[in-house]
Amino acid sequence: MQTDTPAVSTRGLTLNYGEFTALQPLDLDIGRGEIFGFLGHNGAGKTTTIRLLTTLMDPSGGTASVAGCDLAHNRIALRRAIGYLPENVRLYDTLTTRENLRFFAALSRIEDARDRVEEVMEFLGITDLADRRIATFSKGMRQRVGLAQAIVHRPQVLFLDEPTSGLDPMGVRQLREVLERLNGQGMTIFMNTHLLSEVARSCSSIGVLSHGQLVFHDTIETVNARYGSEEALEELYLSVVPDREVAA
Amino acid sequence: MPDLSAIPTIALKDARIALRDRFLLAATLALVAAALISLITGTVAMRTDVATYMAAKQQLLALGKSLGSIAAPEFYPLKLMRGTIEQIEIMGAVIALIAGYRAAVEERGRQTLALILTRPLSNWQFLTAKLLGGAGLMATALAFVFALCAVVLALGSGIGIGANDLLRLAITWGASTLYLSAIFAVGFGLSLWLKSPASGLLYAFALWLLVVLVAPQIGDTMDPDNQVAGGVFAQLSIPKAEQTRIKQGFATYETIRNGIEVSSVTKHYERFTFAVLGIKDIYTGKALGPIWADKKGDAWFLILFTLGLGGLVLLRPIRADRLTKET
Repeated sequence: MQTDTPAVSTRGLTLNYGEFTALQPLDLDIGRGEIFGFLGHNGAGKTTTIRLLTTLMDPSGGTASVAGCDLAHNRIALRRAIGYLPENVRLYDTLTTRENLRFFAALSRIEDARDRVEEVMEFLGITDLADRRIATFSKGMRQRVGLAQAIVHRPQVLFLDEPTSGLDPMGVRQLREVLERLNGQGMTIFMNTHLLSEVARSCSSIGVLSHGQLVFHDTIETVNARYGSEEALEELYLSVVPDREVAA
Repeated sequence: MPDLSAIPTIALKDARIALRDRFLLAATLALVAAALISLITGTVAMRTDVATYMAAKQQLLALGKSLGSIAAPEFYPLKLMRGTIEQIEIMGAVIALIAGYRAAVEERGRQTLALILTRPLSNWQFLTAKLLGGAGLMATALAFVFALCAVVLALGSGIGIGANDLLRLAITWGASTLYLSAIFAVGFGLSLWLKSPASGLLYAFALWLLVVLVAPQIGDTMDPDNQVAGGVFAQLSIPKAEQTRIKQGFATYETIRNGIEVSSVTKHYERFTFAVLGIKDIYTGKALGPIWADKKGDAWFLILFTLGLGGLVLLRPIRADRLTKET
């Protein structure tokens, strides 16, 4: 695996459903160690992009690589290099936190699975939930276990789809802190979100998708410099996304 | 050589979840109860017959007479398994369908399908694991059923069962596992393929109705000789040669009737197990060799049908829109 390549790189990545284009040719480079915030209205194609990059869907055209692994020809290696947390993940209700995490660790074929599960639970502060079944958990607790399964195999790139959805302010803050710590360890984070404030606080670069088309991509510093205010992101978002979508 | 460790990992996870699934546990216990009720009733009757014979025998010996003056009856405890097989055919199939549905909906509804498919394993490994997990679940539940049946037959029938009987029970257990695994694959496949898993379950039940209930019954309900209790020919005392001549006039009808019957995997399962266990009179007391020679077609149908269904599930790719939250 090459370390000098971008964490995520796409060239003309496209997805069509018949005559409908869900994702227009996407050219995107995300550097290693970045926290990338992917913004866009509902149905813009953010989840579709994550599904393409995590091998869950096959593109209609174009190329992509994640952590230096080609999407078309090196899928298994690519899957080893990524972690994924879908929106509203529920995991296996009748299994405990530890059982859930051991299962996903085993699937990821890591050698020190048992030790690693304990380490991740400690890292996320969920050791006290280890022997409790998921069925009894709140949304925030499930989200933390979901994040644990996404990082248990030490992925290079972490994909998060609306990770703050349904979380209370405390949950959002805790998640932000965890992501910053993970990023501090060198993990690249690709995050779909609706929350402009979270993007402003956590992300080092942002992209805005509208109707399947990338309409903006730059660093957060550039955004702040260009708009020069605390509402920089909101200004930017409103300027690139059509009014009716913003209203929606 | 691909790393296949994901297959037992997923299958064992499914087994663990199934063991904690109250519905499946209750359904399996209901199947056990239904199977045992008919078996226990039969064994009580057989025990009475055996006791009557033994009393008569003792009486003869006490009178100093030869045992040759009464014909020694032959008891076949395995014939009492008829009710059990019929419960597996119908009720077992319902449980297998629902287990297949739950195996699919559990991964779709909880988003864990997406989590698994982003792990370093191929999609076919995931599907193989799910099918093997289902087959393992069926095999375990049926092993429990057959073990209890063996105990009831051994202790309750009054004459016990031998090694040959146990071998026949083991063969029947294998055939039953194949049969229910095929039904599980139908429930799992349809619930995974269709946009809504609930629609998948509905279609699966429609198939169950046709394959398990309607088609096998056609043989009995459409058989002209079955329209009168004891048989029309027997009631009218029609000679065998005349019966054959009459039947020739219904050759096309008989071909269609039999065709409908044998299109059902349930009928093949029933024909094979009824022969192995000697439930069907012409096979009662027969050795396994001749039974196999006669019924290998049914056995092969069962094997190929199960493998074919499994292959179909494996070959069909998992569509991304099946990763959605809707259940």
